[in-house]
Amino acid sequence: MANVIVNRVKEFLKRYPPFSFLHEASLEEVAGQVEVRYISQNEFLFKQGDVAQQFFFVLKEGSVHLTETKEEKEKVVEVCDEGDVFGVLALLGKRPYILNAQAKEDSLIYAIPIEIFEKTLHENSRVALYFAAGFASGQVVVRTDLSQSQKARTSFKEVSRDTGLLIFTGQSDLNYSSQVLTCSQGTAIRDAVASMAEKGVGSIVITNAKKHPVGILTDKDLRNRLIAQNKGYDTAIDELMTSPVITKNKDSPFSDLYLTMIKNRLHHLIFTEDGTSDSPITGILSDHDILLSQGNSPAVLINALLNTWDVSEMAKIRDRAERLLEYYLENEVSIDFVASIISEINDTIIRKAVQMACKKHGNNHPEAAKVKFCFLSLGSEGREEQLLRTDLDNAIVFEDVPAEKLKTTQEYMLLIAQDVIETLLTCGFQACPAEVMANNPKWCQPLSTWKNLFADWIHSPNQQALMNATIFFDFRPIIGQKALTEELSEHIFNEISAKSIFLNFLAKNALLNPAPLGFFRNFIVEKSGEQKDKFDIKLRAMMPLADIARLMVLSHRLVGINNTFKRFEKLAEIEPNYRELMLEAGKAYEILMRMRASEGLQAGNSGRYIQPERLGKLQRQLLKNAFAPIDELQKIIRVRFQLDYFGS
Amino acid sequence: MGFFDFLRPKPIPKATFVTAYEGLFEKKIPAVRPISQLNFVVLDTETTGLNPKMDYIISFGGIKLSHFSIPVRNCKEMYLKVPIKNAEAIQVHELIRTKDPVALRDFAREFLEFIGPHILVGHHVGFDLAMLEKALRPFGLKKLQNPVLDTQYFAMRLEKGIQYDPSMGKPGEFTLDSLCERYGITLDDRHTAAGDAFLTAQLLMKLLKLAEKKGIKDFGSLFR
Repeated sequence: MANVIVNRVKEFLKRYPPFSFLHEASLEEVAGQVEVRYISQNEFLFKQGDVAQQFFFVLKEGSVHLTETKEEKEKVVEVCDEGDVFGVLALLGKRPYILNAQAKEDSLIYAIPIEIFEKTLHENSRVALYFAAGFASGQVVVRTDLSQSQKARTSFKEVSRDTGLLIFTGQSDLNYSSQVLTCSQGTAIRDAVASMAEKGVGSIVITNAKKHPVGILTDKDLRNRLIAQNKGYDTAIDELMTSPVITKNKDSPFSDLYLTMIKNRLHHLIFTEDGTSDSPITGILSDHDILLSQGNSPAVLINALLNTWDVSEMAKIRDRAERLLEYYLENEVSIDFVASIISEINDTIIRKAVQMACKKHGNNHPEAAKVKFCFLSLGSEGREEQLLRTDLDNAIVFEDVPAEKLKTTQEYMLLIAQDVIETLLTCGFQACPAEVMANNPKWCQPLSTWKNLFADWIHSPNQQALMNATIFFDFRPIIGQKALTEELSEHIFNEISAKSIFLNFLAKNALLNPAPLGFFRNFIVEKSGEQKDKFDIKLRAMMPLADIARLMVLSHRLVGINNTFKRFEKLAEIEPNYRELMLEAGKAYEILMRMRASEGLQAGNSGRYIQPERLGKLQRQLLKNAFAPIDELQKIIRVRFQLDYFGS
Repeated sequence: MGFFDFLRPKPIPKATFVTAYEGLFEKKIPAVRPISQLNFVVLDTETTGLNPKMDYIISFGGIKLSHFSIPVRNCKEMYLKVPIKNAEAIQVHELIRTKDPVALRDFAREFLEFIGPHILVGHHVGFDLAMLEKALRPFGLKKLQNPVLDTQYFAMRLEKGIQYDPSMGKPGEFTLDSLCERYGITLDDRHTAAGDAFLTAQLLMKLLKLAEKKGIKDFGSLFR
C-alpha cells in the first residue's frame, strides 16, 4: 500500500465528521480502503431506485446535487459541497437510493466501502449515533447537519465522559411491550385489522404453528400493500406481511438493539426467547419506545447546562433543545413528556441564572443576600406548558424584612432579577410586553405584600384583578425558598374560602371566550390587523381550557398540579361523573399545545395564530374534536357557578 | 556456437517472474474494449538523476485505475536499497529514507506482478520506463511489453490535435504542474513517486473523460 496516498486521503477525511470522531488507527484503516472516483459533469453517481452500492460517498472536489425525481420532474434536495457525506442510506438501510446523485461539475469522490465502515460503526458509538441522528431525522446527511452536530459537541465539551450511546438511558429504562398481538398464518387481513383496531396497536406479528414469528404487518403495510394495491379484505395476511422478521433477545445490549433497528430501518423489533426467529415471542420494541428511552438525551443538555457558567453557551444549548422539541413533535411523543423535558431545561437555565446573579452581587450586598427568596415562573411557564420561548412571566417573592431594610432588600432582589432576565433574553426568550417580570418592582415583593395583593384581587375581582389572577395563581417555584410559595398557596385558598364569590367571577372570566364551534362552518378568525384571517389558538381554544382547569382546581383546593392537562386528569378522578369529559379536555389541550408548538416552530414565531386553510384535513379534524369539550365544560361551569343569575 | 559469439553479450538467464510476466501478453486487448473497462497502471519513479545510464531508481509509486476509480488499497509505493555514495542526490530530491527499502530483485518481481499486462501510464513516461527497464535487465527482461500512454502526449493530442508538434508550443505548457493547474487538480505531495503518480492518475481520469467526449472511446482509438 502507498502511505503517501493513504495519508493524503486520511488528511482530507479527518477534517470532516463523522471521520473526525475516528481515532488515527481506524481512520487510517478506513482511508486505506477508500476508492477515489471521478465523475464528470452531469454524470450520475447513483439514481433514485438504484440498488445500494457497497459504498457511501464523500465529496472531495467539485459539486454534486442530490435530486428527487417526482412526476418526471427533478427537484434538488441538497447541494453537496467539499466534505459532504452522502449516499449513507446504503450504509444504514441497505435500501435502494431515494435520491439521484448527479455531478454538477467534474467531481472527485471518495467512495468508502460499507464493509469497513460497518465495523467502525460497531466500534465507535459516536459515529453510529452521528449517522443515526441523520437517519432519524430522515435527512440526507450533509455537512450542514454535520457542522451542527459539531457545534453540539462543543456545547457538550464540558461533559467530559464520552458516554457514546449511553446518552440513552440504560436497559432498565427501556420500555417495550411484552404483550404482542399475534395471529396465525393464513388469517384474512380483515380479521387481523379488526384485532389491531380492538387492541389499538399499529402492528401485528404473524406466527406459525409453533408460535414462532414468521412475519410482521404494520399500519403502513395496510396503506402501501393493501389499499394502494387495491387488494381485497379477504387477502391472506401472508401476502402482505414483511417476512422474514428480524429478531433479538430482549437482554441484548441497548446499543445492539438500537443499531439493529437503525441499520435495518425497522420500526418494530421482535424479541424472542433465544433471539432467533425459531423461538417463541417475548415482546416487541417499537421505535417509539426507543424515542422515549432517549430521556437521557435531554439529560445531556441539562448536564451541559449545569456544567457551564457561560451565558452564550447556555443560549446554544437552549437552541439545541428547540431541535429536540422539533424532533419530539415530529415523532408524536406525548406532550406530557415533551412539556416536562422542556420545562426542566427552562428551569435549569433559570436556576443557573439565579445562581450566577447571586454569586455576582452577593458579596457587595452581604446583608440583603441573606434574605430568603424564591424565583417564580408564572403563566404558561408556571404551568409547565411553555414549549416555545414565548413571553416570560415571572416574579420574586422574598421573606418579610424590617421596614427599614425593605428598600435595600428589594433593590438587591431587583439586581438579581435584572441579571436573570438578561440571561433569559440571551437564551432566546421574549420579554413580557405587559412587564410581568421579576425585574419589575411591582412583581418583586416581600411575602406580606404578595399576600395583600392576592387578597385584593380576590376581594375586589375587577377585570384587571381577574386577569392578574389567571397569570399569578399558576405560579411555580423554580429556585429558592419553597416554603414561601407554600405559604402563598395556603393564603390563596384561605382567602377564597372566605370569599367564595371570587370563584364565580373567575368562572365568568373563563367563559369570556366561547368555544369556537362555528370554526368549520364559518371560521372565527381575527377580523382585522396583522393577524387578519387567522385563528388565535391561544385565546380561543387554549385559554378557555386553561381557565376552566384552574377554576376547578381552585374550587377543589387542589395544590401542586400545574399542568392544564394534568389538572384535567386529576379532575377526572375527583369528578367521576364527568370523567370522560375531563379526560377528553386534557387530551384536547395536549393536541392544541402540540399544534401551537408545531406551527410556531414552522413559522418561527409564537405559533399563536393559525391559518385555518393551511391546516391539513387530519389537523382540522383534530382541532374540531378539541373544541367540543370546551363547549361542554363551559355549559357545566355556567350551571355550577350559577352564572346565568350572576350579574356583573 | 559460432566463432563471433564472444562479440554478442552473454544472454542473461530469465528469472521465473519475468517469464510469467511475458506470458501475460499472449492475449491482446481487443480494440473495441471501452475505456471504462480498461485497466491502467499509473506510475512514477524518483531517481538519482536524469541519465538512465548513470542513475537509478530510488522510489517507485504505482496506482491501479479502472472504471474511473482508484482503490487506495491497490496503490503501491516501494523504496529501493541504494548505495550510500549517492546520498547527495537523495538530499537534492529531499527524499527521506523509509524504514524498509526493498532489494532490487524483490522490487523487480513485485513491480512486474503489480503492472501485469495493464496499460502503463505516466507523465513523460519514457524516462521512467527506461529507468525501470534498466532495473529489470539483470533479471532477463529486455523490454516492457505493456501498451504505454503518456499523459503529456495524451493531453497534447486532446488539446491540440494528433498532428501537434510539441516544439512549436510554449515551453512548460504540458508539464504535470501546469496540466494539474489547468485541469483543477490540487497539487500536494509533489516529488514523491506515489504522490506524483496520484496526481497523474487524477489527470488521466479527466483526460479520459475528455477523450470520450471527443469520440475516443475504446482501446483501439486510444492507441491509434
